[in-house]
Amino acid sequence: MNERNDSSLANAKPALWKNPYLGFILFGLLISTLPLFAGWGLMKNSTLNYIGSVLVYTVAALGLNLLLGYAGLISLGTAGFMGLGSYIAAYVTKDMGMSFWAAAAAAVLIPTLIGLLIGLVSLRIEGIYLAIATLCVSEILLKSFEQADSITGGMQGKSVSYPVIFGHTFNRSTTYLLLVVVLTLVMILTHNFVNGHKGRALHAMRGSEVAAQAMGVNLLQYRLIAFSLATAYSALSGVLYVFFVKFSYPSVWNLTLSLLVLAAVVIGGLRSIYGTVVGAFVVWAVPDLILKNIPVLGRINGLPYIFNGILIILVVMFAPQGISGLWQAKFARKKKERENGKEAE
Amino acid sequence: MVNPHLPLAPETTTRTLSEGEALRVERLSISFGGLRAVDDLSFAVRKKEIFGLIGPNGAGKTTVFNCITQFYRPDEGSVFFSVWKNGTEEVVNLVGKPVHSIIGLGLVRTFQNVEVIQELSLLENVLIGAHIDFKATILEQAFKLPRARREERSFQKKAEEALTFLGIADRKNLPAGGQPYGVLKKVELARTLMANPRLIILDEPAAGLNDNETQDLVSIIRQIRDAYDCTILLVEHDMRLVMGVCDRICAISFGKFLACDVPEEIKRNKLVQEAYLGEEEA
Repeated sequence: MNERNDSSLANAKPALWKNPYLGFILFGLLISTLPLFAGWGLMKNSTLNYIGSVLVYTVAALGLNLLLGYAGLISLGTAGFMGLGSYIAAYVTKDMGMSFWAAAAAAVLIPTLIGLLIGLVSLRIEGIYLAIATLCVSEILLKSFEQADSITGGMQGKSVSYPVIFGHTFNRSTTYLLLVVVLTLVMILTHNFVNGHKGRALHAMRGSEVAAQAMGVNLLQYRLIAFSLATAYSALSGVLYVFFVKFSYPSVWNLTLSLLVLAAVVIGGLRSIYGTVVGAFVVWAVPDLILKNIPVLGRINGLPYIFNGILIILVVMFAPQGISGLWQAKFARKKKERENGKEAE
Repeated sequence: MVNPHLPLAPETTTRTLSEGEALRVERLSISFGGLRAVDDLSFAVRKKEIFGLIGPNGAGKTTVFNCITQFYRPDEGSVFFSVWKNGTEEVVNLVGKPVHSIIGLGLVRTFQNVEVIQELSLLENVLIGAHIDFKATILEQAFKLPRARREERSFQKKAEEALTFLGIADRKNLPAGGQPYGVLKKVELARTLMANPRLIILDEPAAGLNDNETQDLVSIIRQIRDAYDCTILLVEHDMRLVMGVCDRICAISFGKFLACDVPEEIKRNKLVQEAYLGEEEA
């Protein structure tokens, strides 16, 4: 399989740079090979679980990046909508006995509609007030998860089994592959969206509200679009979570998760799809997979929070465009050097 | 407010646009706190005209623009504008219309401090000007269905034409952040051209430009009017530009109408001279 990839890569060299999908697909293929390593015993199964949940969180982070990076709006309600998606998916498959597709559709659409309604009320405010409004919504949802025993299982949480799709019962590795496929698709769709006219409208709204309005962008409409999309991504992330982890507890969907999603977006880089993936790996995988294994230091309680806190400070101070910004700056410098070189000739 | 000049309610819009007029500002007033920024101002812009609005600092020129484009709601008065609807000409009153609907009527503006999106390339910035003409839905766009591709292609071509027209096509893929001010001014101009405008409002197009660039601007503004067959209304401090490019000029001071005439007459007008230089000492 590797050989075939290599040869097609060599043939498609000029197109590789032209076609943005190829990058996303290669990325998807790359991370989809990880279960093989686990199968060969080169990687612990728990590692695969960590990486799988990073992929899940990445979907929510991409949604928040649309909202924060492109539209310039902030939300602290990510976790609430993720939880809502996960519980609806669990309830529809387990209690109602319906298919995976019905569950996924309901679990994405219902939170999106709720998000739309909340957006209609709250998107007339901006900045910190919007953050507080979304935080309130998230906390209300969290309390509801704890109280609505009959649907959410209350504090005991709700369990589901791996999904059954087209009569095929998934196991951990195949569910992991499902995550990879969904994430890759989401990355491609997000890429298309932000590079089209609606993405540009979001850019305009963030960059200059007056210019956006003068060019015919209806601010409330586009805030709603960004907010609903972020909600839909969160809900989808919740669906993926519950089918991969097979459990949904109220304690997962708290403010800390919303803040970590925010951290992933900021550290990875606003308005960067790959940056968001990298940010999610830094925020969730690095503390669990690497820092914990460091002697002495790894035993500090709350180490992930210290690590992420320091990282955010460093990023805000020295690299406001996040990790992807550093990468792009390096790329731009090289290009400039090349051009200067050309001019000198 | 009792208005001695106008006994009828302003709703009786019998006086809208005369033949050959593109825009008429009628008895426009707006106050901020106690300050009357625009005071009972009326003027009309003829079709295919390059019309200048001048006045000393703080005369309320930009406020007039903001009232026309509905960024501000005027307290009183009307703004009549001629639009094309299904092949026939119609007159609409802009006052009270949502800001984002104005461009759809064929009225586009630039801003005093260039309002471009730093993170986008010049081409993408210009494409924002075609926003209202994109019809593809979110899903069509996310899945790059034929209509979304077709639109993107055709508007990109149009944007490239606009950039070529203004002579900055070679920079089209560079990010707007870091481009010289003169280039960004042109990007804003190109952006207005994307909307097939009937009237372009330029808010201090020469501000921050050097002498050569200002000279260029005179011919650019004329070329835009001729090539895109539209009317141009501009506010400008640079008198050489205003006198050089405008067909007619309206002078205001402290929000009030002073004079409206051809440039030579405006230069000679006593009221205008006083407003600019202060009253002659007795």
